[in-house]
Parts: sequence; structure tokens; C-alpha cells
Amino acid sequence: MKKTRSVWRNLLGTALVLSLFLTACSSKSSSGSSGDPVTITYYTIDSPDRTYVEKLIPEFESKHPNIKVKVDKAPYEQFDSKLQANIAAKKSPDITSHFGYGGFMEYYNKGLLTDLSDIMKEDNFKAADYGIQEELMNIYKVNGKTYGIPSNNYVTLMLYNKDLFDKAGVAYPPSDYEDASWTFDKMVEMAEKLTVQSDDITKAQYGVDFGWGELDMRPTYFGAKVYSDDTWTNGGKPSETYFGSPEAIAAYQKWIGMIWDKKVSPPPAFSKAVAGQFGDPFLSGKIAMSVVGSWSLASQKDFNFKVGVAAVPTGGNDKVRSVLYVDPLFVLKDSKHPKEAYEFIKYMISKDVQEQSIELSGGTPPINDSAKEKYYNNFEGIDPNIIKQVYEGANKYGVESYNHLVANYSQINELFINELQSVQNGDQKVEAALPVIQEKLTKLLERVNK
Amino acid sequence: MTQKITLGRSIAFLILVVCTAAMISPVIFMISTALKTKSEMMLFPPTWIPQTFQWKNFTELFTNDEIKFGILYQNSVIIAFFTVIGTVLSSACVAYGFSRYHGKGRNLMFMLMISTMMLPYPAIMIPQFLLFSKLEWMDSFLPLIVPAFFGSAYQIFLLRQFFNTLPNELYDSGKIDGCSEFRMFWNLALPLSGPALATVAIFSFVWSWNDLLGPVLYLSSQEKFTLPIGMAAMISSKFRIAPWNLLMCAAIMAVLPVVALFAIAQKRFTEGIVLTGIK
Repeated sequence: MKKTRSVWRNLLGTALVLSLFLTACSSKSSSGSSGDPVTITYYTIDSPDRTYVEKLIPEFESKHPNIKVKVDKAPYEQFDSKLQANIAAKKSPDITSHFGYGGFMEYYNKGLLTDLSDIMKEDNFKAADYGIQEELMNIYKVNGKTYGIPSNNYVTLMLYNKDLFDKAGVAYPPSDYEDASWTFDKMVEMAEKLTVQSDDITKAQYGVDFGWGELDMRPTYFGAKVYSDDTWTNGGKPSETYFGSPEAIAAYQKWIGMIWDKKVSPPPAFSKAVAGQFGDPFLSGKIAMSVVGSWSLASQKDFNFKVGVAAVPTGGNDKVRSVLYVDPLFVLKDSKHPKEAYEFIKYMISKDVQEQSIELSGGTPPINDSAKEKYYNNFEGIDPNIIKQVYEGANKYGVESYNHLVANYSQINELFINELQSVQNGDQKVEAALPVIQEKLTKLLERVNK
Repeated sequence: MTQKITLGRSIAFLILVVCTAAMISPVIFMISTALKTKSEMMLFPPTWIPQTFQWKNFTELFTNDEIKFGILYQNSVIIAFFTVIGTVLSSACVAYGFSRYHGKGRNLMFMLMISTMMLPYPAIMIPQFLLFSKLEWMDSFLPLIVPAFFGSAYQIFLLRQFFNTLPNELYDSGKIDGCSEFRMFWNLALPLSGPALATVAIFSFVWSWNDLLGPVLYLSSQEKFTLPIGMAAMISSKFRIAPWNLLMCAAIMAVLPVVALFAIAQKRFTEGIVLTGIK
């Protein structure tokens, strides 16, 4: 037994020595010195269209010798987990945005964001100096306080496959939002001419893929109200929702009707089959028109066909035709250097940096109006004037995506994806599904917004 | 010795061929995509044989400054190597103890240890992160390697079951010849446990090699990133077309060590079985 004990003692000793040794050779401890310069952390997604920020830092640091900027990054899927762990460990980054699954309202309701109003007031910040339209500034205000400063201006637009249009001899869709003849019905009519019905998946072709906003937002396009007005002022918590209303049901019927009645839109099975790994069936060259976020424009040079840009047609809502995805930059609550972080945000939205960002990221739309001209000229083979026209129209008739404005959005979105799946697959009627959604949503909101 | 070809046999053969084809087609498609150009990669319907073989995709993978594949590879190898050593050594020690010594509360301790297997990673993620953060181990390989030196419940369980099958006579004869306890572990138990150790080595290697969330949480500078982080980053952009052809090159490179390890360990497998032929 003695021997046994000594073995254990040896093992324990070895383990202790090992752990001491490993601690000793661990990385250098973070600098705890109180003197300047201060280091701020910018947390983003690990992909070239986001990490280009690294290339902008040297210039910022040379202009602000007392501020050092560090970039921390994570893949998309793990973005929220890493942020959560770092906040829990009191190692919160200073600047980030809702790059992951969660939207602005989730950050706001968890109390993660710094109110920037005082810092901005002290600095005499004017949105116009940075070419930011007031309406876009208002998106990230709650009760008059600013929690985020817009930095990128994605919109929803229509991309179309010029090759398919030429082959069918159909005129291209217009880019002018003021063209009253460009309606939803006109689009469906056009799509009918561009659809080739066939059981052979290599021959089948569809007129339009209508990816307008997230699923819960779609009735808005057709003029139906789905969330009560207080949602937009009280921190994203709707007191009432109207998904069971006749208007909402009619709106979903119009959208689903394109798949199953008119048969001009691809059913999910077709989209999955041709899009496979790429997610967007438009890239397969089997879809004539696609209503998508303007990020799709950035990879247009890789498409295997000629692409055009057009306005989103009017669908019955005079005010809303395009979903905006205005990405802001936030300063997180636990930031020890909010003023320095704010300085960096100002740098990021300045004209020169916004212009550089377009090139470095491969086509990120600037928020700064003075940098937009460069963005419009960034896409080879597409007339800059048309992009400009489409962008200006989209911003004029745009509304910010609900995924940024409604609290607990991931759960709401998941509910819609699950419940509408059978409808999209043609197994259930819209009028049967919507009352169920309304009921489940009411219960969900009661639970999460208490 | 020729075997008769019966109807049953040919049906079985046919089923096997179909199954094999189903299993191998993704691998073939992976290799095919790895050798395609970007525009061919997006063709629909997809081609099985690339029009032109783009061998330079591999060169690009290693020379691309944004991917830094060589460094990713090196980091993954370092972490996996130490994880395997740590897991095998520590788990074998603990398992040997559980198998050889009969003390009070042994079963209770064993149950306690096994119960840690029930804890999902997200449950311990934050506390563990706080611990390593307090130790100032952030942005180093230590949080990924050091836990391996403290055993893994699953591997300990596996090894203990194996050690239990070794006959007591073996240790008795060892004692008669004057073996110390450690020598009995090192020179008797371990050499006879080839297959079990090989299994533990493969499991811990594959686990460490594939781990994504751990490295994402603990590493923050690019030059410390591992293969899974780099590969996840390649498909991280929701706004761009992912470079699937390069990603498939990366996948081929990432699969190679696993295949190699399996081939080597398989040999040890049979060796181990031969050696344990004690009567």
C-alpha cells in the first residue's frame, strides 16, 4: 500500500509541476499600465468583407497616437457565443455591430449598449457632416437617445438575368421608382413570359424569386400592418400583432400564389436543388428576376451571366418598397474607453475611409452620401446611373428591416420559418396557417416580453 | 480456393457496391470541386469531372494572405499533438488506478467522473472561459491543451474497461520479478493495451482536430488560429459567394492527417491484439 501512495504522490507532484510550467510559459499578460495610449477592441466577423477594417487602422493610429485599435474576430456562426463569453469575463470589446444573429433591439434590451448622446453632444456631432440622412440616424435612437451610428447602407433591390430576358425577348424592368407602371402585377406578368415549366430540373426556369425582407415583414410590402405602432418607440416590444387580419392573409396569398397558382416563382425544393451550397438560386442562372439585399451586387462579377439592376415594383404600399439594412456601429456598455471608441466610429464614417472601404471590402455600400458616387461606379458592366437611381429610390421608399427593430427577433423569425414551411411547400393553405401563427406569436411575445 | 457465386452473394455484392458508391460520391465531389475554377464551381447542373484541372487552387490556398493556410495547419497540428499526448498519458494513469486499486468510495468516484460526460459544453463554456481568463491564458494554446492533461472521462472509462480485462496473474508475476508499481503500469499494462491506446489516440486527435468553438473562444490573433476557424471563416460571409473550390482543397488537406493516423493506428490495432494473446 505504501508503494501505491507514493505513486499517487508522484503523479500529483508531476501534475502540479506541469501546471506551474505551463502557466509560466503562457502568453504575456495584457498590459495593465495606466498610461496612454489606450487600446480599444473592434469585434467583427472573420471574413474578408468585414476584416478589411484591419487595413484602415494604421492611418487612424497615426492620426490618433494615443489610441491603439485591436481587431478581434470570429466566424459568423460563433460570433454571438464569443461575444457573450467575453462580456461575461469582463473582457467586452469596445466597438461592434449586430454582425451575428441578434439584432439591435436584442443588444439594447439586454442593456449591452452605451448611450452615445452625451458624447456626441459634447463633440457637437452633426449627421450632415458625415453625409448621413436624418431618417437613417433615427433608426438607432430609442427615446431620443442614440445607441448606434449608421456605417453601411444596404437596401433591397431587384437583380435580373439579362441573358434570360434577351432570350425571351422581354424588355428589361425599369430602374425608376417614380415609374407608376412598374407594379407587382406587371412583374408577375413579365415573370410568366420568363418562366419555363418542365419536370426536367435542368430545363425548368422561373420568372421571379421574391426575397423581400424576412417572412414576417412581407405583408408590409402589400400594405398590411403586422406590428402595432408602439413597437417602433418602446424598444421593439409589440403590444399587438395582426397576422390573422384579412389584409395580412391576402398579402401572404399574393406571395405564395406566385409559387403555386401562377407558378412563376420557384418552390423551395427547386431552390434548394439548384442553389445547393450557394443558398441563392439566382446564381444558378435559372431565375430571371430576384428581389434581394444589395449585398448580392458585390459578387456580380463572378456570376455566369450578365446582370442588371432594377427598382422593386410597387405592391400596394405607397411608402414602403425596399427593406433597408442599415448597419450601425455600437459602443458596448462595458467599454472602458467610450470616447476613444466614438473617435474610431467617426473615422469609419468619414468620406475618405468610406471610399476606401468600398474597395477594400469588395463593395460595401457607404452610409456617407459623399462616398456613394464611388460605390455606384464600383460594379463593372452595370451603368452607375442606374445603380444610383435604384439606390436613391430604395432609400426614399425604404423601411429598416424588422430584424433590427423587433426584440427577441431570432425566436420570432424561427416561428415564421417553421410555420410557413408547409405553406411554401404547397402542403397547407395560407388562410389555415396564419391564425395558428398569430396564436403562437401572441403566446411567444407574452412569454419573452414580460 | 474459389468461392461459388450464388444469387445471394451477388445481391449482397450489388448492395455493397451501391452503398460504397453512395458513401464515396461526396468524397469524389469534394475532389472534383477542389479542382474547378470559380465559374465552373457555380455551374448548374454541376460537372463531375472538371473541364480544366485547377491544380493551382492548392497553391493559392497556401499563398493567399487572407487564409494563411500553412499557419492554420501548423497550429492545428501542435494543438492536436499535445492533446493526444496529454489525453493518452493522463487517462491511462487514472484508468489504471480505477482498474487496479480497490479502495473505499472507488465506485462513487468513478460514477462522479463518468457523470461529467453528461455536461454539454455550452453549460461549462462561460465558467471555463472565466477561469482561463483569470489565469491570463487568453489568446494562447494553453486553454486548449492543458485540460487534456487532466484526463477525459470518456477515454478513462474506455481504458478502464480494457485494463479490467488484463489478468491479475500478469501483475503477480511482475511483482515476483520485482517490478515497482509504476513499472507494472509502464512496462506491463501499457504495452499490452495497444488497441485501446490507439483508439484513445484517434478519438482525442479527431476531437481536437475538429474542435471549433474552443479555439474560437480562446484565440484572438490570426497567427494562432486553427484549421476549423480558418475554414469556418471562408464561409462566414453572408454577403459573398464562398470560395468553395478553395474550401474543398482545404478539406482534402484537413482530412489527410486523420486518414494517415487511422492507417497507422490500424496496424497497431492488430499488433495489440496479437500481443495480448496471453494464456
